[in-house]
Amino acid sequence: MFTTGSKLLIGSSVLALLATLLFGIFDGGLLGSVALISATVALSVLAGINVFTRDANVGSDETESFGGAAAASGRPGASMWPFTIGLAATTITLGLVTYTAIFVLGLILLMAGLVEWLVQAWSERASAETGHNSEVRARMLHPAEMPAGAAIGLGVVIYAFSRVMLGLPSKTSTIVAFSVVAMIVLAIGSLIGSRRTISAPAMTGGFAIAAVVLVSGGAVAGLNGEREIEEHNTTAYYAAKDQCGAEEISADEHASQTVAGKASSAAEIFLTESGTIEFQMPGDSSRRSDALQLPRSNPNNLLMRNESSEPRRFVIDLAEGYEGSPPRMCTQIIEEGGVQLLTVEFAVPSFAPEVEAVGGYRFTVPGVESASLEVVVP
Amino acid sequence: MITSRRLIAAFAATALLSSCASDAPQDTWKPAGENAQMIHDLQWPIFLVAGIVGVIVLAFIALIVVKFRDRGQAMPEQSHGKAWLEYLFIAIPAVILTTIAIPTVGVVMALADTDDTECIINVTGQQWWWEYDYPVSADGTICGFTPSVADASPIITSGQVVIPTGTKVLLRGTSRDVIHSYWIPRLNGKRDMVPGRVHYLRLQSETPGIYAGQCTEFCGLSHANMRMETIALEPADFQRWLDNELEPYAAPVDGSLAAEGEATYIAQCARCHQVNGLVDDRGTDDPSDDSLVVSYPDQFVYSGAAPNLTNLMGRNTFAGATYDLLTDECRADVWEADPSEFGDLYLEGVTEDCLNEIELREWLRNSPAKKPMYADPEMLTETDGKTRGMPYLALSEDQIDQLIAYLLERK
Ligand code: HEC
Ligand SMILES: [Cu+2]
Repeated sequence: MFTTGSKLLIGSSVLALLATLLFGIFDGGLLGSVALISATVALSVLAGINVFTRDANVGSDETESFGGAAAASGRPGASMWPFTIGLAATTITLGLVTYTAIFVLGLILLMAGLVEWLVQAWSERASAETGHNSEVRARMLHPAEMPAGAAIGLGVVIYAFSRVMLGLPSKTSTIVAFSVVAMIVLAIGSLIGSRRTISAPAMTGGFAIAAVVLVSGGAVAGLNGEREIEEHNTTAYYAAKDQCGAEEISADEHASQTVAGKASSAAEIFLTESGTIEFQMPGDSSRRSDALQLPRSNPNNLLMRNESSEPRRFVIDLAEGYEGSPPRMCTQIIEEGGVQLLTVEFAVPSFAPEVEAVGGYRFTVPGVESASLEVVVP
Repeated sequence: MITSRRLIAAFAATALLSSCASDAPQDTWKPAGENAQMIHDLQWPIFLVAGIVGVIVLAFIALIVVKFRDRGQAMPEQSHGKAWLEYLFIAIPAVILTTIAIPTVGVVMALADTDDTECIINVTGQQWWWEYDYPVSADGTICGFTPSVADASPIITSGQVVIPTGTKVLLRGTSRDVIHSYWIPRLNGKRDMVPGRVHYLRLQSETPGIYAGQCTEFCGLSHANMRMETIALEPADFQRWLDNELEPYAAPVDGSLAAEGEATYIAQCARCHQVNGLVDDRGTDDPSDDSLVVSYPDQFVYSGAAPNLTNLMGRNTFAGATYDLLTDECRADVWEADPSEFGDLYLEGVTEDCLNEIELREWLRNSPAKKPMYADPEMLTETDGKTRGMPYLALSEDQIDQLIAYLLERK
């Protein structure tokens, strides 16, 4: 029947289960429950393993069966898989109470451990020759182990590398670090390439050192956190504070004066030399200054051009009282001859009382009194 | 063997039958305007050339299969390559393709030309209908016509776009949600309508009538129900249509069923659908209490828009031109009308006798059942509770009666 070891483990499992139940009923703390459930699962797994492996041993008094016992036909090699499966069981339990991702990770670990162990156990009985046996194992599992291992290795390298890059104190140092690393890789590559032979220990050692440096660098950088990435206020921020004036604001720094998407915009709007606003609609070659008609509830991409001889910005007031769009919008400062893109969406038609109350939709240019263009939204 | 022969016969029969379908309003082989004519004049010679090449190739294959089939003869002499033949086989397609390319590029350029435009109409696609608006030009004209009212505002309509015959119309199109594609096969090729971009499509028709089309870029659940029609009217009829569209709002007679409908409309529909000029008197006689009813569909509909119903009965289809507002009989009268009578018939709009009440009632009763639109409130997490299309509104039959009476006067 059961060996002493198995009995011990089965007993411990039952005890752990009882403790879990009692703790659950009388205390119910989450952390304690997790610990006890984990212990129960781990002990049960170990008990199970023991029953299915060591219990195949013959009793110590049945001396005549020694020779034919399974354990006598060569010792099984060292195996990390029972440990892996135990780890998987704990991970699964942990995943049940924390995150699904951890649970799934545990399942994957469990599957991998079971398959590996199964194949290892089977291959060790494949023949009496140990070399042949390990070859059998390799032939079966390498097609799965190699790509999976490579993917995990690559993932670790990329992740560690990205942490280092994000952790470096500035953009410049990131660029320098990147260039230096790239140069070192290139130098080592050409060194290896130029040598007829290179000793295996040297290679392994080199790569091991590189891996250790990278992973520890990644860990340190990851714990340190990313460098601070500067955030700039946009024109929307200033528009909300009613600061879309003629003077320059911080949102105007490095303002782009050219636009990539020059075609297919809803309209082009010009601040002319004489201080008026004109517009041109697609499909219509004439420039007009009467009223620009734009559809409602539609992100209209407008090209805003400054043809005057001063840096200027356009401003438009939108109706208040609805979600989504800010009540005021403005461009950054547009240099003389520059152009910017402004995306405007009107949720309310221009005949709505709240829009009429403020004199309709209208583009204006701070600092240029005469500049005003009515926008009709039907 | 027999099954494959049957299959071939079935294919041939289908091809033959579909090629001579008579009631095919979306037939690319029946151009009805200058632009479609250009495409047609290009496509049939290309089909001809392609057909001849196809027949020659197939005939050669058949010949070789029969002539050189395995009869147990000796292996023929093996040789490698024949330079002059290879050069010939490069030269022939090159000549054919060049011959085809020259007129093709010419037509592509001609169809992209916008300089000769006489009328501009904006079209905006959204799930699952098209909206049209007619901008007012600097000189106060709309589509090249002078409205009889002064200071006209832009016209907004949906489903059916009305154009004057013999006029070079330019559609300026975009989309409010996903990519749609505009195609009236008898008037021009198709053009994708892309959010944030404005694309052009020329339309022109010589003959008054209805030209059907449909969205040709998969755009969601009801893509197949996103149809559109172009209505071509003689210039004089177009002027009448224009003036009618711009007529001020006429409130229903006090105490009528339609007047009850107006109240129901304000309560149930006005938050999404605009009826121009509609005023809410808030149940009092005091005019200072009145307020203009303005819709705000951006808060309820994912695309941010719903059809303008000011002149609903002036068009004769609804819900993305998927359903008829006319009964079958009246519809046939209009759709099959002689071009000379078409204008009068179309401008009559939908009369009480001709109203396809069954389908309009079904629409008001439960629109998502009539046109799949994700209107299940449980499934609206992605759009912030906004519906794609018109939601189920749980109206009573009495309310529907009132609404039908009210809508019948919208023309
Ligand atoms: C939540 C917004 C919303 C409400 C409320 C609403 N509708 Fe609609 N309605 C729509 C949308 C969106 C469409 C376009 C659907 C389509 O064709 O795909 C539409 C289409 C229609 C059409 C077809 C119009 C055309 O030109 O094709 C009619 C008629 C209509 N609605 C009537 C009503 C009536 C009457 C009510 C009030 C009982 C109402 N609707 C309430 C959003 C709404
Ligand atoms: Cu579509």
